[in-house]
This record gives sequence, structure tokens and C-alpha cells, in this order.
Amino acid sequence: MSEPWWISIIKAVVIVNIVLGLFAYLTLIERKVMGRMQLRYGPNRAGPYGLLQPIADLVKLVRKEAFAPSSAIELPYILAPIVSAFTAIAAFAFIPWGPGWTVHGWRINGEVANVSIGLIAIFALGSIGIYGFIVGGWASESKYSILGSMRTCAQLVSYEVSLALSVLGVVILGRSLNLPEIVARQGSWLPYAAPEFIGLVVFFFGGIAETSRAPFDLPEAEQELVAGYHTEYSGMRWGLFQMAEYINLITLSGLMVTLFFSGWHGPWDIGPIWFLLKTMAVLFVFIWLRTTLPRLRYDQLMRFGWKVLLPVATVNAVVTAALVVAFG
Amino acid sequence: MILASAGNALVWVVWVVAAFSCLGSAVAVVTFSNPFYSALALIGNLSSLAVMYLLLSAEFVAAAQVLVYAGAVVVMFLFVIAYVGPRLETPWSGGPTWQTIGAVAAAGALLVEIVVAVGMQASGSLSHSDKVGAAFGTPAWIGRVFLVDHLLAFEITSVVLLVAAVGGVILGSHTKRAV
Repeated sequence: MSEPWWISIIKAVVIVNIVLGLFAYLTLIERKVMGRMQLRYGPNRAGPYGLLQPIADLVKLVRKEAFAPSSAIELPYILAPIVSAFTAIAAFAFIPWGPGWTVHGWRINGEVANVSIGLIAIFALGSIGIYGFIVGGWASESKYSILGSMRTCAQLVSYEVSLALSVLGVVILGRSLNLPEIVARQGSWLPYAAPEFIGLVVFFFGGIAETSRAPFDLPEAEQELVAGYHTEYSGMRWGLFQMAEYINLITLSGLMVTLFFSGWHGPWDIGPIWFLLKTMAVLFVFIWLRTTLPRLRYDQLMRFGWKVLLPVATVNAVVTAALVVAFG
Repeated sequence: MILASAGNALVWVVWVVAAFSCLGSAVAVVTFSNPFYSALALIGNLSSLAVMYLLLSAEFVAAAQVLVYAGAVVVMFLFVIAYVGPRLETPWSGGPTWQTIGAVAAAGALLVEIVVAVGMQASGSLSHSDKVGAAFGTPAWIGRVFLVDHLLAFEITSVVLLVAAVGGVILGSHTKRAV
């Protein structure tokens, strides 16, 4: 039974808002967790335990004047953060977060968009989102911005290859590019983190680089580039770039849970809650890494991407394919 | 019934928008004097082509189009343009060259193809709706076509791509040794 179109629309609106809320509170969680790891409290002034901090941040960002350099190229400068934020939010639509339910005879699917090419669609949207970072840096007409966007471009293109190859093993095991199907197969077997452990590790490293998180945060290395591609952005335009980065991180964590940790499956029948818990656990590891590891040098980053990660991902995909053909 | 016709109208609206943005961005690619804008217009062109593929229920081709062409290939263009800096003078040097003649010939061939296709469609000899099943355009279907029905052509293509990659490596290492 297929889902009525109006349920799809309501669900899409609800999910977008949940993701945006998750983004807002992820910034708080990150600052809190980093604070505790560095023996301080983190934000604790706005509301009890600083719980209203994201709202205070939002009000501040919206009210702040959005400066633009006088030499900035208007239209691309304004559109760049919008493109990045839009593709980041849109990519989450393909991630399944529940088994789907039937309420009063109406079918509700456990994902916003169930398409046969969900996995490729997420990567495709991600590759369009890169343009926001490049064009934003270029249109700012600033040396730091252009250097930052060049670094972003080189890093994201390099690690995208390893990221896409690392999930190939999962696709071979799941025999599908459809994410709900991959989750269903893991539910009836075991999480692909076990047979595809190497794929998981490659995906994890590739994911850190794709989202420009520490220790791969060279595009935004403060000491070298001020802030990278968004140096010349302020106010909510900067906020949109930040939003794009964090939502990309959420989507990537959700994708990791979907591909390697059997998605919303768990001991009790609480599908979406399992999905949320697993995603938060992955996000915690990302934050943990940021406080633990120092930034790599640029040549180390490139060498690691092309000479370690890519060969490992390729061999992993080939070996998985051979084993599946031999024993599957 | 009303919903179905509304769906049809939606398909038409999407098609018209995609077709015109495809044509518009294609013209923009060759008319912009700043190559950075040309590359941006090319993204628009490739993306609207992907929408057309989606309307033809070729989901996989649409996603691959965005991922490979609109994503990876144009990123390289932008990377190089942003590095080298915009050359604002137009590349047109005047006078017919073999390139111009080739471009005109290719455009003529495309025109003939379009006229033939439209003519065949009008006479009804292009209709193969029985071959377009529910699985048409899915990754599984494309996999079968590539790796079972047309394996030789597929492998030859991969060898050609491998040659291109090796050539790129040789060119790169050669210039390094010369410096």
C-alpha cells in the first residue's frame, strides 16, 4: 500500500524541522561535550544548563547585520550558502528512520523518499553541496576565502572517491542501492559493521574529511586561513553555511547507522528512537575526535586520502565482491 | 481522475521548466565571457538534463548524471578556473577553423536525428511501451544490461577509461621530471 501524498508532505515538513532542531542542539551538545572534555562547563548561562543557548545564538545571528565585501560578486555570494544548506537538508530525505506504520488505514513510510537509488542520490546531493562552498569562497573576492574554497574543493573531491568506494561492499552485501532494503537485510541478518568492518573504518575517515571535521578541518584552519571559504560571511548567511556543515554531519552519521549498524533495528520495537540513539552515538564520536586529535598537515591529508584510504577501499570492495560471488 | 490529470499537468510543468532551463543554460555556457559563469551554467544544464532523465523514469542515469558530471567533472573545471583566474577575453578568434566546421557538422547531425526521432514518434513507430516495465531504469535493470547483455562494450569502455587515466598519470609525471 502506498502512502497518500498529503502524508508525505506533512512528514517532510516534520522531518525537516526535526533535523533543524537536531542541528541547533547538536551545536549545544558539541560545546557542552567539548567543555567537559576540556575540564570546563561549556555554555551554561542561557536557561537551565544552557539549554536555551541555540535559541539565543539564532536570535543573535538573525539580528546581526549581514556584511558583504564591496567587491563580492552579488548573486553567487548570496546563493552559495542557500545551495549548501538546501542540499544538506534534502539529502536527509533518503535516510530511513523507522519500519513504517499503518494508522487508521493510512500508510506512513519510515522515510521521506523511498527511491531505488537512495544511496547514489545522497552522494549526488552532497556533490552539488560542494558548489556552495566553492562558489561562496570565490564570490567573496578575498584571498583567504579563495584559498579556503580551493582546499575544501580538493579535500572533498579526494575523499568523496574513498567514501563512495567504502559503501560498495555494503551495496554488494545488501544487493541494493535502496536504503530501506539495505536496513531490512541487516535486520534479518546482522549489522554490516561486522562483515564490512574495513568498509566502516574507511567510511568513517572519509566521512570526517567530507564534513571537514577535526582532525581533517584544513579548509577552515583558523590559524592559517582565518575561517576558510566563509571568512567574508556574517549573520545568517554564515549561519546557513554552519547549518549545512552540521546537517551534513547528521546525515552522514545517519547514513553510517543505516549502512553499517542496521538502521532503526534494535531489541525492542522503538524504531525511530533506536535510530536517534545510534546517530547520537556516532555524532558523539565525531565530537570526541575533535577534542582529541590535532589537525593534520595538508600533505599528510592528501597522502592519506590517495595512498592509504583509496587503495584500502578498493581492495575491500574487490574482496567483498569475490567473497559474495564465491560463498553467497 | 482529477488527481491523475493534476499529476499529468505537474509532469508537463516540470518538463517545460526543465527543457527551457536546459536550453537557456546551454546558451549561457557559450555566451558568458567569464569561464567561471560558464561552468556554473554548465552545472545548471547538466542538472536540468538530470530532471529530464527523471521524467523518463531513468532514475539511476539521473543520479549518476548529477554525481559524475554535475558533481565531479564540473568541480574540476571550477577548481582549474579559480586557480588560473578568469581570462575575460573571449576565446573566439574569428574565421572558420576545422573545429567550427566540426561543430556545425555535429549540430547538423543532431538536428537530423531530432527531426527523424520526432517524425518516427509522430508516425507511431517509436512506441515500445511493452518493453518499459516497472523495473525500467532501476539499478538492477541497468546492471543486467551492462554486465550481461552488453558486457563486451562495457569492458571496452572501461579499458578506454583506464588508458585515459594512465595517460593522465604519464603526462603528470613527465612534466614533473622536465621541471
